[in-house]
Order: sequence, then C-alpha cells, then structure tokens
Amino acid sequence: MSVIGSFLRRPEAASAISLVGIIAFYVLIGGVNLGTLFGAASWVNFAANLGIVAIPVGILMIGGYIDISIGAMIPAGSMAIAIISGYYGLPIWVGMVGALAMGAVVGLVNGILSVRTTVPSLIITLATLVVMQGVVLAGAKLLTGNASVSLTSPVWAKTMFGGLIGSSHQTIIFWWLAFTAITVFVIQTKPVGNWIFAMGGDMVSARNAGIATNKLTISLFVLSGMSATFVGMCSAIQFNSAQVSGGMGYIFNAIVSVVVGGTLLTGGYGSILGIFIGVLTFSIVSQGIYFTQIDRNWSNLIIGVTLLLAVAMNESFRKFALSPPKKRPGAQRERQKA
Amino acid sequence: MKLLNVLATTALVTAAASMAAAEGANIFVIGGKPDDPFWSRVKMGAEDAGKVAEAQGGSVTWLGPQNYDNLGPDAAELIRQAIDQGADAIVGPDWVPEAMDPAFEAVVAAGIPLVIYNAGGLEAADRLGAMNYVGAVDYKSGYAGGEYLGAAGHKNGACVNTLPGAANIEAFCNGFNDGLAAAGGTGSVLQLPATAFGDATAVAQAVRAHLLQNPEIDAMFAIGDGDTNATVSGIQQAGKAGSVHVCGMNFNDSILANIQAGTQACAIDQQGYQQGFFAVSILNNFVNYGVTIPTREILTGPGVIDASNVALVIEGVKAGAR
Amino acid sequence: MSTTGRDQKTQSSLGNIVRRPETGSFVGLVFVFTFFAILGGPIFVGAPGWSSWLNIAAEVGIVALPIGLLMIAGELDISVGSVIPASSMTAAIVSGHFGLAAPIGILGGLGVGLLVGFINGYLVAKTKIPSLIITIGTMFAVMGLTLGFAVLLVGSTSVSLVADPLTKKLLGTFVGGMFNVSMFWWAGFVAIIFYLLHISPIGNWIFALGGDRESARNAGIPTANLTIGLYMLSGFAAAFVGILQLLTYTSAQVASGQPFIFNSIMCVVIGGVLLTGGAGSVVGIVIGTATFSIVNQGIFFSGLDPNMGSIFIGVLLLAAVLSNDGFRALTIKLSTKKS
Repeated sequence: MSVIGSFLRRPEAASAISLVGIIAFYVLIGGVNLGTLFGAASWVNFAANLGIVAIPVGILMIGGYIDISIGAMIPAGSMAIAIISGYYGLPIWVGMVGALAMGAVVGLVNGILSVRTTVPSLIITLATLVVMQGVVLAGAKLLTGNASVSLTSPVWAKTMFGGLIGSSHQTIIFWWLAFTAITVFVIQTKPVGNWIFAMGGDMVSARNAGIATNKLTISLFVLSGMSATFVGMCSAIQFNSAQVSGGMGYIFNAIVSVVVGGTLLTGGYGSILGIFIGVLTFSIVSQGIYFTQIDRNWSNLIIGVTLLLAVAMNESFRKFALSPPKKRPGAQRERQKA
Repeated sequence: MKLLNVLATTALVTAAASMAAAEGANIFVIGGKPDDPFWSRVKMGAEDAGKVAEAQGGSVTWLGPQNYDNLGPDAAELIRQAIDQGADAIVGPDWVPEAMDPAFEAVVAAGIPLVIYNAGGLEAADRLGAMNYVGAVDYKSGYAGGEYLGAAGHKNGACVNTLPGAANIEAFCNGFNDGLAAAGGTGSVLQLPATAFGDATAVAQAVRAHLLQNPEIDAMFAIGDGDTNATVSGIQQAGKAGSVHVCGMNFNDSILANIQAGTQACAIDQQGYQQGFFAVSILNNFVNYGVTIPTREILTGPGVIDASNVALVIEGVKAGAR
Repeated sequence: MSTTGRDQKTQSSLGNIVRRPETGSFVGLVFVFTFFAILGGPIFVGAPGWSSWLNIAAEVGIVALPIGLLMIAGELDISVGSVIPASSMTAAIVSGHFGLAAPIGILGGLGVGLLVGFINGYLVAKTKIPSLIITIGTMFAVMGLTLGFAVLLVGSTSVSLVADPLTKKLLGTFVGGMFNVSMFWWAGFVAIIFYLLHISPIGNWIFALGGDRESARNAGIPTANLTIGLYMLSGFAAAFVGILQLLTYTSAQVASGQPFIFNSIMCVVIGGVLLTGGAGSVVGIVIGTATFSIVNQGIFFSGLDPNMGSIFIGVLLLAAVLSNDGFRALTIKLSTKKS
C-alpha cells in the first residue's frame, strides 16, 4: 500500500485531519493569523492541563473503562495541598504527597470496584465523583470554614509546578510533554502496552492469556486519579489559591479530546499520539476561537460538530484499517456480561 | 503619589502611542460567560462603545470563561490571552485577587493600559497600577440591600450563595449582612452546592426548605436575576409571601414585574451596560488621543429600584437605555 | 440476562421479591426518609416537606423516566442537559419576544426536543458510534445553537414570558401554594411509560434491545425505529421540563439544565437500572427519583452542611449498584442451581 494508505490506517489519522481541518476553518472563515495563534500561550496552557488528564483517561478507554471522577479529583488535589500547606502551614512537599495520595486512594477504590463487580465503570466513577465533590466542599468548610483557601508556596515549588516561562507559558506544559513522551514510550515498547490493548479488545481472552488484568486495571485507575490531583495541585501552586468547585468541565472536555483523538470508547483501539492531537484540536477549537472573527457564542456548536465529524471519520478509517471490521459498539456489553 | 501617577501616565501614553501608530485601539474586555444575562448587558455596553473604536480602525474583543467552575484561574488565563493577542488596552474584573493579580501585573508590566471594572474597587486598581475603576462595589451593593431591608424593619436575613468560594459573591453577602447589622438586624448565608447553579427549581426548593426550618428569617438577598426569581418563588412556596421580603442584585423584565406586583422589595442595580461602555470608552480615548478622566473610581451603582421608582425604570427599559 | 426482564413479575414467591432490584432501592428509600424525618422533624414529615422534595422529584423524574428506558435498552442520553434550556428559550423567544400565543411557543419548544431526539436516535441507530459520544456531540452543538440564536434574535441571554392565565395554571402554578403542578405531569409520564414498558409489547422489545441488539433485530424487532422513538421520547421529556421551568419562573435562561445530566442518571441507577441494559423497572426509577430528591431536599431541613448531600447521594449510588450486583449474582446462582 502507498504511504497515504498506511497513514490512514493509523488511529491518529482522523485526528490529524481534524486538527488541520479546524486550523484551516479558522484561517479561511475566521481570518485568524497563524503566527499569532501559534505564538499564543493561552491555548497551550489549556491543552497542557487538559492533556495530563486526558492521557490516563484515554489509556483507560483503550482498556475498556471510563473515569469521570476526575471532575472532582482536580479540585480535590488543589484543595488538599492548599489545606495541608496553606491552612495548616506544613511544608509544601507534604501537601504534594497528600494531594497525590488522595488521587491514588480514590483511583484504588475505582479500580477495585471495577474489577470486583460487574457494574460499568461509568456508574462507579459517577458515584465516586459525587462523593468526592461532597467531601471536598464539606471538608473545606469543616476544616477551614471557607470555600476558598489560599496557598503561598516556596520558590522552588513555584518554579517547578506553577511558574511561567516568558511570563505566559505555564511550566505544566513541560510536565505534559514529558508525561506524553513517557507514556508513548511505555505503551509502544513495553509489554504492558499490548496487555492494555488486549484487555480492551477482549477481557476474557486477555485474562486467559495470563495477563494480570485486575492489577493492570487498578493501576490504570490509580494513574488517572493521581494525574487529576496533579493538575489540581499545579493549579493551586500557580494561582496561589484553591477553589472547591471547578473541574466538572474537564469530564466532557477530556472524553471529547480522547475520542476526537481516535480512541474507541468501547476499548481496544487508540493511541497516545492520537490523544495528544485530540487535546490540541479541542484546545484550538475552544480557545482559538478568540483569535478569530467568529462570535465566541458559537464555540460550543463548533466543538459539537467537530466531535461528530471526527468520530464519523474515525469510524470509516477504522473500517478501512481493520477490514473486515471486528469491533462493534456492542463489544463492551458483551464483555460486561461475561 | 501624584508624581508617580504622572510618570506612570506618561509611560503609558508613550507605550500606547507607539502601539497605536498603525491603527485604532484593539481593546480586550474580560468578563463573564456570554450567556449570563447580566454579562450580556455589559458586553453590549462594551460593544456599543466599541463602535467608536471600530470607526477609528480599532476593535473590541470580548473574552469570557466557558463556565464559572474555576473562575479565578480561568479569568487569569483570559487576561494572559489578551496580552498574547496584542491588546492595546485591557479591561478586566478582579474577581479572585489571589489568582488574577499576577496576570494583571503582567498587563501593567507590558505597558498596556488597564482599567479594572465590575469587581475589586479602586483599591484593586491602585494596587495593580490600573488607570481607573469602573463599576459598583460588590460590598456596597450588598450593603445597600441589607440597609434597605433593615430600614424597612426586618431583623433576620439570609443571603443565597450559589457559587461558594467566588470572592465577589462572598462580598455581596458580607455587605448584605453588615448592612442589615447596621440597621439592628443579623444576617447569615445560605450555601448551596455548586451543582445547583443555574437550576431554578433547586434554588427555589432550597430557599423554601431553609425558610421553613428557620422561621425567624424575614429578609433575603440573592445575586443575579435567575437566583432572585427562584428565591421569590421559594418564598411564595413556603407560604411566606408578604412576610419575608427579598432584594436581589440586577434586574430583568420579570424582576421588574415582581417589584410592581409587590413580590420583591427591591433590586440593586449596578448598571452593567455603563460598566462596559465607560471602561471601553476611557481606554479608547486614552489610546487614541491620550486624554484621561481625572475622576478616579467611576461608580455605576448601587442604585435601588423599588416600588417607588419601578415605573420610571420600566420606561427606561422600553427606551433601550437599561 | 433475559431472566431479569419482566417475566419475573409473574412469579411472586418471597425469594423473588427479595431478589427484585427494586427491593434494595425501596429499603434505601425507607432508610433515607426515616433518617431525614428524625433530623428534619415535623416540618419535613408534613406537607411542606413532602411538597419540597416532590417539586424537585417531578422535574428530574420526568427526565429520568425516558433516560431509564434508554439505559434499559443499553444507551445513554447526555444531550438532555442542553435540550432543557433550548426548549424553554425557544418557547420564550416565540411567545415572549415575538408575542405569539403561548401554546405556539410551547409547541415550538417541544418540537426542538423531538428534533434533537430524532437526530440522536438516527445517529445512534445508523452508525456504530457509542451513544455517549453522539449525545455529548449534540449536547455541545445544541448549547452553541441556543446561545448563538438567543443573542442573534433577542440580543439577550434571558428572555421572559408572561403566559395567559390558563397556560400558566396548567404548567406553572403551585397547588395549595406549595405543590407544583409539575408533579401531576410527572404522574402522567409515569403512567404512560409504565404502560409502554410493562404492558405494551414495546416493553419486551426494549428489554430485548438492551439484552442483545443482534438477536433482537433477528427476532424481527424494528430496532432502528425503536431507538429513534426512545430518543425522541427523551428529547420530548427534557423539552417538557424546560417548558415547566419557563412557566414556573417566567423567564428562560440559556445556561441551565446541566445538573440534569448526571442527576437523572443517578436517579435511574439508584432505582436499580444498570447501564449494561436488559433490566430495570418503572417502579424502580420512581423510587430512585424519590430517594434522590429526599436526600437533596432533606439536607436543607436537617441543619447539616448542604454539601454533605453529595456524599449521601454518592454513597447511596454505590450501595445501589453494589447491592444490585449482589442481587444479580444471587439470581444467576439460584437459576444455575435449579437447572
């Protein structure tokens, strides 16, 4: 097959085309100046925060699971560090450990419930989402008497997690790039990558093939919880304060990015590079609209249409890539029945 | 202090002049969600003032967050975005100072003229080195509501807060409680879970339950048209219409109808249209001609609308001025 | 899977009652009610308390019923979150801004719901894309359209509507000053959907669809039309709630309705319906809605921090799914033993 053919067979093909399409749309219809757009920090900062959450959500999706509790874990992370190191004045590293540990514990609960029961992970993580929302809000009120807590962090922490480069780009961009690089490396070169795809493709045969599916699932949920609290923690350090609400928007934003990036909601198919491109696409759609002459009021319409078009494209490309088609949306239900 | 101001102004004029050489002023306005009724009026004021800027070859761009979940950091991002996009002048509200002040400082450091509006007060404008403050002061607006109800003989008030953690809402509520206290009453805050925001039924039922459980409450304060409408309904459902009086921030057609019908005691008007209009006008004239307004802290509120002047306001709405 | 459909209903031994998913939900309901009755005292147990949570339950309940049917059929609908404001905004613009008669605006609003439902259903039935993704897409799109058109046509994002007395009486008043008429409409929806799911042949089709789509189609069930119909029902119900809110609070706002997305799913799940499809009942959904609303409102009567309500709901949700899972395991164990 030609070069084009092998490109189209890759999971990220459709997302790359979506990205180019959106930029073209903004340039042609919105009259955007590409130099200004690419020089701008705002959408890159947005992408970095979203991207760190989207990668584990995407890996979980490849493995056949979904995690929406991240919506509460982001404020939980920022609240944890602000209460520990801001309100109680403990060293900042204690707050960091506390925030990450909180993410790990909730991830552990999500993971254990997902492997021990037949309940879909959407419902399990919906429950932990609601519980954690209450815990964060009520906890902050109970401990500090306030719904927003301020935090002053030492210079080293500020530089590493909440600094600005060139007074506009957040340091979290580097964490995002590093996280992306590490996960791409691990998924592509280590056996664990194959295990995840096998698990999402067919849980039972994966288990029969000797893959420790339970351990793997739990670790993935822990990773996802910790990534979310990491983003919250960085945000608290960056903005010197934690607010209890916040993060709900990440739920749909992360799912949309991951799916636009070519990942199949029902599992077994996708790529980290695709997720990375999906995050870029989403960020440019939602933040780049400010750089166009299109009225901001229409941005949600563009997000929705982009998502549907990207998914339709993914669908036809996947058919092309896996002919005859093997995967059906029914696959998840099949698996859970088993 | 005066000398400093002069120096700062000179520096700003030079900076502005060098940027404005090519064309008119590109002014960026940071505000609320475009689908928030109050903010859509501010936006309209800013855009109307922007027509002058456009005639001179400039532009007005509105930047608002996707939602209010993460207000401080999101708004700080928008400020930085305005810098990125090469703004000649920036208008912004200081909602969450901890999160937003560094971004405003970056605006001033970049030599971009800045006007704080809507939230923060002159104090924030001075602290950040902004040219001026345009707007009502949240605390004073709440205070006016508390004072009004206190003067009417109410002793026990509750302020409905649907956005726990947002600094401006807490300022409204503190003001309300202090205003009521000044008139000899006491006030408290009814905190709603953040998930109730935008759901009128959830707000109305929470108000109602709170009133039934705390029968001593006889005055309420709500922030925004939607919450006020829902609060009025909650009071009616609790069977307390007439005995519990309510004041709310801002107004729309149905709020004015409430005041006419007597179901709502007063509305505190911060005249959002004026905030957008004057903030943009000041910056546009400054960037283009270097003229300034020596009056610092341009207050657009609080004005109290009650049964005595509601007819006049309705005339104003018909004329398109409010 | 097929044993959890309605064929269970015909049997009535004690074991079967215990094994029914609604039993767990009902125990939860009794527990929650007792808990808040103790904390909330006579006001919560009296008419004010009942009307308080019933007003909440009516609105979320109308949305939750068709969501429940969709979940029984193995699908989701996220778009309800933006259909609610879209419908109330349409009605307010048509009747409030342009001054046409209120019923015309209401029909317009309901029409928007049916249209969005049709698009959802068509896309779900004709493509292999999961319904979660499709309805997230339509949610964003409808949200953008509502905001864009409201600003374009009216120049504002909140439009008020003062309806004629009859319309207001039917759709937006409080009976006895406290019971919102919405709860009678909810009762109507419950009756119709009970008929659909448990009496008419369509009910069996829905269970079959959730159990196994392939075999449902092979068995001659018009799966595509059924899916489209269910989505239109869900769009209609959401639009109807938008109309109720508009007439109760006399103004429509672009930003509202988002809480309904997860709230309706939670009601359905607490009521014993699982996303895996093929099982569930209308009685369960009603119990789940009541439980959810009692917790949400009871918290304001109890003197506890309102945010504790979320913890409560979440724990109930977990308890519901876990016990449901336990019941199911028990059912499967018993049925395998018999055979």
